[in-house]
Amino acid sequence: MLKRPSSRRKSKHQEVVLNLVPILDAMVTLIGFLLFTMSILNVVSIESPLPQMSAQDVEQKLKEKPLQLTVSFRKDEIEIWSPFDRIQAKKIPNVSPGQPDVKALHEALIVIKQQFTGETKIVVAPEGSTSYDVLISSMDAMRTLEPTDPPIFVKNPQTGIDQPLKVLFPDVIFGNLLGDA
Amino acid sequence: MAFHRSIRSRRGRRKINTVMELQLTSMMDVLVIILVFLLKSYATSNNNFSTVPGLQMPISNSLENPTDSLYVIITPEGVTFENERILDFVQTAAGAGSADATYSFKKTDVDEGGRRIVPLYDALVKAREKAELLRAKSTARDAQGQPLPFEGILAIQADKRVQYDTVRRIMYTAGAAGYKVFRFLAKKQDS
Repeated sequence: MLKRPSSRRKSKHQEVVLNLVPILDAMVTLIGFLLFTMSILNVVSIESPLPQMSAQDVEQKLKEKPLQLTVSFRKDEIEIWSPFDRIQAKKIPNVSPGQPDVKALHEALIVIKQQFTGETKIVVAPEGSTSYDVLISSMDAMRTLEPTDPPIFVKNPQTGIDQPLKVLFPDVIFGNLLGDA
Repeated sequence: MAFHRSIRSRRGRRKINTVMELQLTSMMDVLVIILVFLLKSYATSNNNFSTVPGLQMPISNSLENPTDSLYVIITPEGVTFENERILDFVQTAAGAGSADATYSFKKTDVDEGGRRIVPLYDALVKAREKAELLRAKSTARDAQGQPLPFEGILAIQADKRVQYDTVRRIMYTAGAAGYKVFRFLAKKQDS
């Protein structure tokens, strides 16, 4: 007796085709949304606190006489000085009117940092006509140490090992918010 | 040989007549890769600063990435706070069409000897009060069980032609409105 042929042989294999079109639609919409909302511009920031001073702070400063490194911008020059005469004032002529010699400023600040390795604050007093571009480039020169700069070593109090500094004077404070003196 | 070739070419011609289906799988692969890349980039960017047309940002070698905060945009044309135009500067005749920005504040826009910008002060105080109210309603609390304090951070995005005198007035106004930290934004220098 012949066996009945298997039913599987008779059934037609139907190929299931996944409909990718709606998934594609969703993806294109998502990509469009992400491209529209995400910030393409690569922005960095320089932080500066609002200067605040109390009578107690002034008293303390008069006692201790801190460095209070100050950079004053003028039309023809910039001056690096300390109100408590902790350093000898230095004047750097501008390369052109209103355009300070940022490189010379950076080099002068490195020399001061080598003397006062623990100091992080710097007071800036720009002229009213100083452009924002000059302000940013000057703050960069005051804050960061380039790999080509001479290394400044500081002893780590915990390990006792000399470590190279990565920043110059990172805490920039504006000293003339109330107006030019 | 020529006979064989003609048969082969006839067979090939017959195949072309079959229904063509667009292969979407490879396209899906490409889109998934783009989507993953964008989602990853989206997660790493932690600020939502927008800009205004024509703004020329200065370049900085700073490495600090700004976090999201309230922001003010200063151009030689006016001041924008949180995407809302606060005031327009008065353009002087010398400034029209010249490379150097020449502008001034309207006399009615400033007080306290020209130091405080009144419309900006109002907007900053309003934004601070709103932030404080949101913090008071939030469940997040500090160690003493008090609402988290207002951070008082203001990001300043200024055109490179803007003068320090304008930035100083903005900082003075923000200080009077209770903002304690300023973040100067600039374009990252290409390494």
